[in-house]
Amino acid sequence: MNTIEQAILTRVKEVVAARSDGALLSATQPHADTLHLLIDKRAMRPVVDGLVNELQARFMTSVGTDKRPVTGDFGILHLFSLDRDHLYVLLESPVSESDLRIDSITPVVPGADWGEREFRDAVGVHPEGHPDPRRLLLADDWPEGVYPLRRDFPYNYHPPPAAHVRPEMREPPAGASVVPMGPFFPVLEEPAYWRLFVEGETIVGCDSRVFYNHRGIEKLGDSVLTYNEIPYLAERICGICGFIHSTCYCQAVEKAAGIEVPRRARYIRTIMLELERIHSHLLWLGIAGHIIGFETLLMQTWRIREPVMWLCEEISGNRKAYGMNTVGGLRRDLPNQLKPKLLEVLANVEKEARAVLNAIVGDTTLHARTKGVGVLTNEWAKKICAVGPPARASGVAIDARIDHPYAAYDEVPPQIATQEAGDTWARVLVRVGELLESIRLVREALSAIPDGPVCAEIKEGIPPGRVGVSVVEAPRGEAVHFVLTGGDNRPYRWRVRAPTYPNLQALPAMILNETIADVPITLGSLDPCFSCTERLETLDRKTNEVRIYSHAELLEISRRKARCGGAR
Amino acid sequence: MTAWLGRSFLLCLLNVVLALFLSPLCEGIMRKLRAAIHSRMGPPITQPYWDLLKLLGKEDLRSTRGGVYASLPALTLGSLLLLAALIPMGTAPPLAFAGDMIVLLYVAAMSCILIMLTGFASASPYASIGSSREMMMLLSVEPILAIALTVGAFKARTLALGGIVNWQVRNGPSISMAIAGVAFFLALQAVVGKLPFDIAEADQEIMGGPLVEQSGPRLALFRWAMWTKQLVLTLLLVEVFLPWPRFGIHLIDLVVTTLKVLVVLVLVTVIDVVNPRLRIDQAMGYFMRVGVSSLAALAFAVIGK
Repeated sequence: MNTIEQAILTRVKEVVAARSDGALLSATQPHADTLHLLIDKRAMRPVVDGLVNELQARFMTSVGTDKRPVTGDFGILHLFSLDRDHLYVLLESPVSESDLRIDSITPVVPGADWGEREFRDAVGVHPEGHPDPRRLLLADDWPEGVYPLRRDFPYNYHPPPAAHVRPEMREPPAGASVVPMGPFFPVLEEPAYWRLFVEGETIVGCDSRVFYNHRGIEKLGDSVLTYNEIPYLAERICGICGFIHSTCYCQAVEKAAGIEVPRRARYIRTIMLELERIHSHLLWLGIAGHIIGFETLLMQTWRIREPVMWLCEEISGNRKAYGMNTVGGLRRDLPNQLKPKLLEVLANVEKEARAVLNAIVGDTTLHARTKGVGVLTNEWAKKICAVGPPARASGVAIDARIDHPYAAYDEVPPQIATQEAGDTWARVLVRVGELLESIRLVREALSAIPDGPVCAEIKEGIPPGRVGVSVVEAPRGEAVHFVLTGGDNRPYRWRVRAPTYPNLQALPAMILNETIADVPITLGSLDPCFSCTERLETLDRKTNEVRIYSHAELLEISRRKARCGGAR
Repeated sequence: MTAWLGRSFLLCLLNVVLALFLSPLCEGIMRKLRAAIHSRMGPPITQPYWDLLKLLGKEDLRSTRGGVYASLPALTLGSLLLLAALIPMGTAPPLAFAGDMIVLLYVAAMSCILIMLTGFASASPYASIGSSREMMMLLSVEPILAIALTVGAFKARTLALGGIVNWQVRNGPSISMAIAGVAFFLALQAVVGKLPFDIAEADQEIMGGPLVEQSGPRLALFRWAMWTKQLVLTLLLVEVFLPWPRFGIHLIDLVVTTLKVLVVLVLVTVIDVVNPRLRIDQAMGYFMRVGVSSLAALAFAVIGK
């Protein structure tokens, strides 16, 4: 698919060899676009420094894996992307159980902050020299020394409950007072806790506690579910961009197993992904309006969005969580007779969206609230490894659809919109451009879609020990799934990194020296999705009881709902 | 003497009762209109009455102890009812003997200050931010109201509101009063806490500002007070700046006035619906400009236009 220049591979190996000082253990190329380097852990920081500063590699995520049953060690893997060269670089170091430490790379790559805290919480490998010693992933009452992603940790373990636990938070600087935002707050659709340090109304700093929604999805993926069950779980990572996560997971497994997906399935994936982008961007525009009190914008964009949801329901049977993806392709074809209706709905959406956009583009009050507000500088966007519209609005022209083409984007490439200003208004403009571009892409994909099967036949099992990295450009930015195949028809390790994960780390710099009034819209302009980020059981907070519904009960509930309210 | 007192008392009562019981209806109409612009069905027009009844029936929870804090909601509503008795509604203001325009300005500011005090006493960071924003808004808007009414007082050579209205009725429209009226209307949007100036409440930023800790009957009284304020100040605008036509029959004048009030409230709602919220500094800058411009009205008044 991608033509990787031999020269760049050589160049990467040279840089790594020069920085690792003989610590390079092995270099393999599992796929045409993936370079897997195994290095000794003492060379981790210098090698990362070389990759980032000499080759402009972009840090994507960190994966901590308990490989003790296989190799006897833990594996810490940092994933980088050389966007211009369409290459993934996987930098892995074995960490032995006797010395659970590895040099932190956060001092070199600020964007690696959360990734490293996450593997410290999940597998118990300590990143040495990391600036933040506090928990990220685990709940505040989680017992010390219990690491949920270790292989000997049972997925259904319940830690003893603790009372009166508070998150460990930083104190404000002298003279500043604290304005809490969360854990429950009107503009946060999901729980997240921000402590804003303010002088008057001006923000002089902030601290945050997130991961209130952790659902243990990755653990379920490598201990309970099988390859073909995970797409349904992946789809439920996010309520908006479910198809993105299921596609991303399937692509990672397909790549690891070497399965070639039929062209028609690739095209249908493209169409569904773009439909998701259309309804997600319309949803976002409405929420952005709501945050600054512009309810009319919310009501109108959500009205325009609804036919897109009905269309998705007609294609897949569901408004959301389509259940279409499976490893090797799709479970459901897109009926050709739906094409005219699809085009008609798109034409209407485009017409109405343009009318709304024309109205907001000239709105001076809207300009007053968004221009120059929440600026993410180009330099910091690169350092913190921001992705998606926030990155593109700051002049970082990265888009997974172009940099690592997947589905049918190699044949229907998108035009990406970038802005230089980096403020909230620039992020509005980028998304508006993407919305219209997505409508064009769906049209183009519909006219170019070939006939044929939608699912590849898989004759043999997926061999263990293979890696697969896949990215999908979600409406919020690039989603990354990493799969290491295992032996019992399930991944040995499945790692998900949603786009909000890096983007949320950029927020503290964006709200510094702004006023309290600007914080909600700045946060909103990142289009944060906490459940994505935190991949997080029904818990009744009133009774503190975990209620688990049986299969039969769930069926009964959904049938009852479908009978009384489902008909439109 | 007693007859005069009785008549004044009855008219006061009429003003107060009208303000109290028509204000939820006005709010209901505004909500319906807002829904229409949103492409929504919207709640029934009588919904605000049911809202009040429901809230009044709820438990009274207070974040702060003390008698003053307990009485703040009632004082706020009371101050607005006093204001209602001070302004004309299709006839001369019934309580005019008790105070002129200057008293009226004080009473109008009182409800803002009481809400501010509630916020500061609520022991919530959101309420204090909201109250300080309320104070800044009051400081930027109050001068405009004062300038606009002063233009009327200057023209009519009286500080009595009834006198200004009568002068307007007799002399017809003038440039200075038109400018003053526009300035008053722009300020009205902020005084009644509508977008783009609902900065002190700003649900999405500070969760309702000064009223964040209020619930049940206390919230009901504050809501009622806000709705009354909306109606009474609109009445003031209509009576002072647009008093024509005047038929001289109280009942007919009252109906005409009510219709004019509805037109102004429709305008207020449309502005509310099509605008996002400004930031406090932006709003203050805006009212600074409006305030300076309204001085033009005074200049016109001096040259007799």
